[in-house]
Amino acid sequence: MKRFVFSALFFALLASGFAQQEAATLPSVNLKTLDGKKFNTADISNDGKPIIICFFATWCKPCMVELKTIAESYEEWQEETGVKIYAVSIDDSRSSGKVAPLVSGQSWEYEVLLDENSDFKRAMNVGDIPHTFILNGKREIVYQHASYAPGVEQEYIEKVKEILQQEKQAE
Amino acid sequence: MHRFTRITLSAMLLAGSMLSYGQSLLQHGKVSGNIQMNAQYYIEDSIIGAEKVNNKVRTNTFANIQYNNGGFAAGLRYEYYAQPLLDFEKIGYVGEGIPYYYFSYTTENIEVVLGSFYEQFGSGLTYRSYEDRNLGFDNATRGIKIKARPFKGITLTGIWGKQRNLFEYTGQVRGMDADISFNDMCPKIGESPFRLGIGGNFVSKYEADNDPEYRLPENVAAFSGRANIGYKKFNIEGEYAYKFNDPSTLNNMIYKPGNALLLTASYATKGLGIYLTGLRTDNFDFRNKRTALLNNHMINYIPTLTKEHTYALSSMYAYSSQPLGQTGFQAEVQYKIPKKTLLGGKYGTDIAVNYSLIHGIERDILPEVQENGGDMGGTLGYSSPFFGTDLLYFEDFNVEVGHKFNKSWKLIMSYIYLDYNMNVLEGHGGNVQSHIVIGDLTYKINAKNALRMELQHLSTKEDDGSWAYGQLEYSIAPKWFISVLDRWNYGNPVEAKRVHYYNVSGTFVHKATKVTLGFGKQYEGILCVGGVCRQVPASYGMNLQVVTSF
Repeated sequence: MKRFVFSALFFALLASGFAQQEAATLPSVNLKTLDGKKFNTADISNDGKPIIICFFATWCKPCMVELKTIAESYEEWQEETGVKIYAVSIDDSRSSGKVAPLVSGQSWEYEVLLDENSDFKRAMNVGDIPHTFILNGKREIVYQHASYAPGVEQEYIEKVKEILQQEKQAE
Repeated sequence: MHRFTRITLSAMLLAGSMLSYGQSLLQHGKVSGNIQMNAQYYIEDSIIGAEKVNNKVRTNTFANIQYNNGGFAAGLRYEYYAQPLLDFEKIGYVGEGIPYYYFSYTTENIEVVLGSFYEQFGSGLTYRSYEDRNLGFDNATRGIKIKARPFKGITLTGIWGKQRNLFEYTGQVRGMDADISFNDMCPKIGESPFRLGIGGNFVSKYEADNDPEYRLPENVAAFSGRANIGYKKFNIEGEYAYKFNDPSTLNNMIYKPGNALLLTASYATKGLGIYLTGLRTDNFDFRNKRTALLNNHMINYIPTLTKEHTYALSSMYAYSSQPLGQTGFQAEVQYKIPKKTLLGGKYGTDIAVNYSLIHGIERDILPEVQENGGDMGGTLGYSSPFFGTDLLYFEDFNVEVGHKFNKSWKLIMSYIYLDYNMNVLEGHGGNVQSHIVIGDLTYKINAKNALRMELQHLSTKEDDGSWAYGQLEYSIAPKWFISVLDRWNYGNPVEAKRVHYYNVSGTFVHKATKVTLGFGKQYEGILCVGGVCRQVPASYGMNLQVVTSF
């Protein structure tokens, strides 16, 4: 019975929330950077330019392929669009220590964050990884994609360019 | 008035008034969530051991819904596992309802959660509440959590609650953790190449003593201390944990205190990463119920120090963490041969070498056990010298080389040697030594179309003998995957069991929605995630998975 009341309340709240839905922005979750500093996800930013967030883990093969592939063109992407990539590792204490050696071993230029107990993953409603989000200049989530297939990265950068175009027109 | 109607009415009234009150509150609110459904249709197959199933169609389904507004958040997960997939039924993950709901309020310096939450102290040696939905593992804590940051760089966390086990909440656990990051606290250190952080925690559990034979501790405490020190490209981290006497079914009711030590060192520079880690646990199984078995009622998490292999045949003999006693280490070197060199080619070549070795700990049985007629129960059990080792539990040597030849062709080759103590890790058989070779070739046909081929071979004389595996996957980015695979147990000593475990599947992806339909046979084996493992029964049939988030 308690459960029923609770659910009724909750769904009422939900319904009204839906009715007034705004574009989704980033939740605030405390993560760690590779040098052990605290980092709140509300501080994910890129001076009003688009942002890509990639969830990955060192043990996730398609995630590795995705990040290695994007790394090949990241410099180019940045020059063209100013996009910034945050790579969020959900490795737990079994393998989170491997992330830093991996990142420098691969010479990745991404902003890398550690989400050891999947708090940010949960807050972003991510099921399986890889899972990628694209944010516009106002840090609103405008696109997401689950899984990775070779060539998807092209879709990401197209999306980023589309966002820039739209924002330009809005001005 | 009937009680039910009365409550319904008042709930609606309350909801209604909250709605009008909440208009402004909800102005900037946001609802989000995800839904996942796995369904399977089971067909009997006596050769592979796929039993006749009473309910041929089964499903694991759940939905997370959360509401966020500024610092306020609320959420719940509805789970429908009334007739779950067979592997979930085997571990007792059967039920339906809302086992997870919470309200939270967060500001820059304080976070309060009422309801269910996930949290971990340090690396989780003393306390970790987490979930792995594919594994059917969820030990969320339900109660209260408070996190405070009184000064920059200092985080204090307090938790108190029951812990989820399958579909109920049991036990009582409370804990406090303090974390100090000197780099955050002091700008001078923050800007220097030094990194320094320390932390410590205290966790205790309560369980009433109704035992007729033993006088059991009703409160059992554990604590741990940790530190990480870094200078430029070097990093060292360590955590030591201690647990007071905690007799349980799994440790044979001994009163010996437990301890665990985890050390990690790494060095990272452009193109090179070195990682070294060691772990020793002695009687460090920590659960909120003394009679718990399998993966039930866990309070803490002991990470596994082996590489998590992800290819089908390389993950067949995976190590599972042994909190009661294990000692070992893992070393890994990653090197990228620079591009535009002879061996690096146009894109560079990745090389990773990884080795891990884990033994049981030496246990010298105490004289008091002899006096007790050989029964450990009620005694201190054994003593264990720190560097003493017992049987080999697991050994893994593996090399992986990845190379991209040009815009179209990419190859990953692996060699893996495994020595797996099946008797200790699964309770039957002896040591299984295997050599595994894997080739993973991708041919990118054009901007959107790609073909990937996996060939794997595992050779062993033990257990079910040798295996061959082949898979073809065709992808059309961003929406389509088609995959065909066959896993053939051609070396099985029993001729009738030399079975082809084939699987055909198609996946459609649209943004955050993924639908997979597959048909085939599943090998009876072990599924491990993060060193936590469970049995997966053999099965045959059709499966459908739908995942979406909104």
